[in-house]
Amino acid sequence: MIIPIRCFSCGKPIAHLWESYVERVNKGEDRKKVMDELGLQRYCCRSVFLGHVDLIDTAAQFKKF
Amino acid sequence: MEIRVLDNNKEQGKLSFILKDSNPIFANTLRRLMIDEVPTMAIDEVEFSKNNSILYDEMIAHRLGLIPLKTDLKSYNLPEKCKCEGKGCNRCQLKLVLRATKGSGVVYASELKSKDPAVKPVFAEMPIVKLLKGQTLELEATAVLGKGKQHMKWSPCHAYYKYRPIIEITGDVKNPEAIIEVDHNNIFEIKDRKLVVNKDRVLECDLSLDYSQIDKNVKVTASDTDFVFYIESFGQLSGKEIINKAMDIFDEQLDELAEELKKAK
Repeated sequence: MIIPIRCFSCGKPIAHLWESYVERVNKGEDRKKVMDELGLQRYCCRSVFLGHVDLIDTAAQFKKF
Repeated sequence: MEIRVLDNNKEQGKLSFILKDSNPIFANTLRRLMIDEVPTMAIDEVEFSKNNSILYDEMIAHRLGLIPLKTDLKSYNLPEKCKCEGKGCNRCQLKLVLRATKGSGVVYASELKSKDPAVKPVFAEMPIVKLLKGQTLELEATAVLGKGKQHMKWSPCHAYYKYRPIIEITGDVKNPEAIIEVDHNNIFEIKDRKLVVNKDRVLECDLSLDYSQIDKNVKVTASDTDFVFYIESFGQLSGKEIINKAMDIFDEQLDELAEELKKAK
């Protein structure tokens, strides 16, 4: 839906890194390099970024119950 | 006991040090005090006056709670220790207001307006929710001091330690390449066809490999008395503040124990 504020496992705040991550990956940079430079060291935080799909734009068009 | 600081990166909030001549009991006490007992500010209650965004009130409240707030430990008390006895006053709680009525776009943590300029979200670019045209979000949040043992959002850091690795090469190593191949921490190097230890990287050793199975002359052991300690602050407090506060709390708890023991007599 939307990037979690913190890493699920270790609790490190990660949400503020998401937009620069997306921007750089879309420019064609290597994901590994971007994550290393953003300071995502552990595989728990990295998996949140690799596995995340931003669906909020699609979901926002539907009615909330 | 002695502490030697290895690295203090204030920008990333990372602090590492060697704890010398100590024991696992003390190291673990320190770790648990830092994670569970050092108080920080976090949003605890949220009152919504308007929310027709796609996220439910509960989800937004949960996200707000997890946002790290810069904490000033001197000017706030824990609600249970405050003079107002937990009713709520300026010394134990803080109001933050969020009003996002613009047409559309991402609502960031920086839009949370705090009544106290010293306490505000650490990371301004954290997205809270994304609004479409016509959607609005209005809320008033209450931040209080709390402890990590009650909820992880009040925990100031990620703290961990390991025994200090001791690496010895006691004689001729017949096949240095075999050691280099399995060494994923880059502790060893080959110089003049001999295996040598890269002294700068000894502490990076994770003690997970038994090199003596490959060559009896390579010994990796763990020190019983020395620890390599790592603290990764989540941003609310600096590494130094976390340790100092943890030690203050340790003192208080020991005093409390002594008091109770006196009463028991």
